[in-house]
Amino acid sequence: MSVRAWVKQLGVAVALATLLTLPRLAAAHSPSTGRVTLEVDSRDGRELRGSVQLAIRDLDTALWLDRDQNGDVTWAELQSAEPAVRNYVAQRLQLGESSRCSVTWQALRVATLNDGNYATLPLLLHCALAPTELTVRYRLLFDIDAQHRGLVQWNTQTAIVRSPELIALSAGQSSSVPSFIREGVWHIWIGYDHILFLLCLILPAVYQRRTARWQPADSLGDATREVFEIVTAFTLAHSITLVISAIGLVSMPTRYVETAIALSVVAAAANNLWRAVDARWAVAFVLGLLHGFGFSSVLLATGLPAQHAVGPLLGFNIGVELGQAAIVVATLPLLFLIRRTLVYQVLLRGGSALVAVLALFWAYQRWCL
Amino acid sequence: MGTSRKAITLTVGAVGLAAALTAAALMAPPHRGQAAAAFTPSEPGRVLARVPIRDRAELAAREALATDPAQLEIAVGLAHADIARARAASDPRYLGQAQAALAPWWHQAAPPSDVLLLRATIRQSLHEFPAALADLAQLLAQQPRNVHARLTLAVVATVVGDYALAQQACDGLQGLVGELVLATCRGPLEAMTGHSESAKARIVAALASAREPNAAIAAWANSTLAEIAVMRGDRAEAELVLRAMLRADANDSYALALLADVLLASNRAADAVALLRDHDDVDNLLVRHAIAAHRANAPHALELREQMQTRLAAAAERQDRIHAREEAMYVLAVEGDAARAVTIALENWQVQKELADARLLLACGQAAGDRAAIAVVTEWVTAHGIVDETLTAAIGGVK
Repeated sequence: MSVRAWVKQLGVAVALATLLTLPRLAAAHSPSTGRVTLEVDSRDGRELRGSVQLAIRDLDTALWLDRDQNGDVTWAELQSAEPAVRNYVAQRLQLGESSRCSVTWQALRVATLNDGNYATLPLLLHCALAPTELTVRYRLLFDIDAQHRGLVQWNTQTAIVRSPELIALSAGQSSSVPSFIREGVWHIWIGYDHILFLLCLILPAVYQRRTARWQPADSLGDATREVFEIVTAFTLAHSITLVISAIGLVSMPTRYVETAIALSVVAAAANNLWRAVDARWAVAFVLGLLHGFGFSSVLLATGLPAQHAVGPLLGFNIGVELGQAAIVVATLPLLFLIRRTLVYQVLLRGGSALVAVLALFWAYQRWCL
Repeated sequence: MGTSRKAITLTVGAVGLAAALTAAALMAPPHRGQAAAAFTPSEPGRVLARVPIRDRAELAAREALATDPAQLEIAVGLAHADIARARAASDPRYLGQAQAALAPWWHQAAPPSDVLLLRATIRQSLHEFPAALADLAQLLAQQPRNVHARLTLAVVATVVGDYALAQQACDGLQGLVGELVLATCRGPLEAMTGHSESAKARIVAALASAREPNAAIAAWANSTLAEIAVMRGDRAEAELVLRAMLRADANDSYALALLADVLLASNRAADAVALLRDHDDVDNLLVRHAIAAHRANAPHALELREQMQTRLAAAAERQDRIHAREEAMYVLAVEGDAARAVTIALENWQVQKELADARLLLACGQAAGDRAAIAVVTEWVTAHGIVDETLTAAIGGVK
């Protein structure tokens, strides 16, 4: 059928459909959205990593992925179109022109977002200058979908691109000290591994060894002193490693660090079950060294400006301490209250066992997956 | 001594907990966009997306437009096809594609008439009602006998609450269309102002005498009958009509939404859950499903609630504001935050003024005890002489 004949045929068939579209079009699946996500990946701020995500449905319209025309786009079909997809994205998306950045594309992957599967192109960005302002020229998909929106995210900032245009995201807010304090608190609060580590150390603090036996602590003051020692040791230890890795003296691969942190949780929990080491402040110190490396990778990912590292470093560390203090203040009095009850014993032994198993699973996950 | 120490410890604990939670709430940075974990599928045959099957002619048309976008006939054909797809799947994505096909003419003040009609249709669905009305006025000035333009005008004018304009648009159809279309166009306007018996009778008679009415027109007429039945408070009849429609087309999302509302209004949440089980990809069905599951205490209620929140967050991320109606329904019925619901319902009322919007605003206003919001609805009812069982019952309850 010729294009012209097709259009004519459609004209007749669709006229009525269009007409009756009218009263009935309020409903909505999701409109077309593309995502560009970038974060700083090196201390000098010149290496960034991220990804471009486009709905497979949109790519089908633009590049015709469903070559066998059965209405399904398979992984094989998407993969065979990988060069075309990459070419399409590379031609229509320029990142960091003003900082003279160049892109290295990595192998195509898939991500499942709330409105379906997206083709994900991971990328590395190498810049001649560390961008303080990142320019993005985004011209993806607008020619096939006028309601397309590009969401470009760099660190904590997101820009919405509504038409083919050049936008610039500034590094601005991430260099202020208060924002780093917030990052630190937030990291502790959502960092279930740090919380569980701390809790494992705090749990037994309401008991004290007298001569050869463990006895409930007499006063909240005693328990507080014990916790104070633990937290101080932990803070000292992770501050040391946080600083030396954040300023670039030592750098550890994330996979090793994250696995080791999970194992440190296992160790802390196991120590509650077997009481191998009485001096928990020592446990806190030694294992705390590991956690510092973990904090530093978070700090780097927020786009730490190398030239002004002191403020953010201090801010982030203060935030971590505040977050910790909040956990201690919230839990210690309660533990003290229930220290003579069965609930406490169950919490100490059962909880520690549970945490150990869970953390062991994390270690496996972080190492193998 | 022991007691007072216990009391002190408890107090310290409580204060500490409160302080910690407050600190956490204050300190939490704004949520970052969720970067879902990417993976590499292990099977080559794994289906990643369902897409429309495109025939050779459509592919050729797209290719032709890619080389030279300014080919009116082809662009209009593609836009038509996309709009038909948007309707069939209740998926707005194809509307954006239709708009893209019309890009060379989209920003023109006086584009060709074919483009004007399509542009009005797309603008209407983006809730840009004033712009849609302007396009239709321009088109009708050129082609007073354009049936599509008149029908669209009637619909859009009704949505924005300009009933005189809607009536005029329907009247202008006389002599251009059959009795069924005419009766269905006028039906809601007549019924809203208290003439539901005669409106219903006209549509029923026209349906009976139409020889093999077009399926789409029949569906439109029947859904109008159901709406009229709801206005009269006859939910049983509305259900009967809608169930019959769904036997003809089980995926008719308009009929599904109407029936869900009927069931929810009759306190039959479990029936609504059963009805909406497989339609969560459509936003206005998902919201009803979430409400029904919440009311019925269904095991998947929480999951639906999360889905709804994700959907709203995604729209907010794009700064889309066309979901106000659904959002207000959800916030009122599921989150139980009447104060926020009334704000959203008022915002929605600025844009659309269908009966459903009035019922929603009234429900939100009453739940929040917001006299000003209630007054907005009662004044509207008085000004236009609206007769609607749901509104009457609710307003009666206030007095």
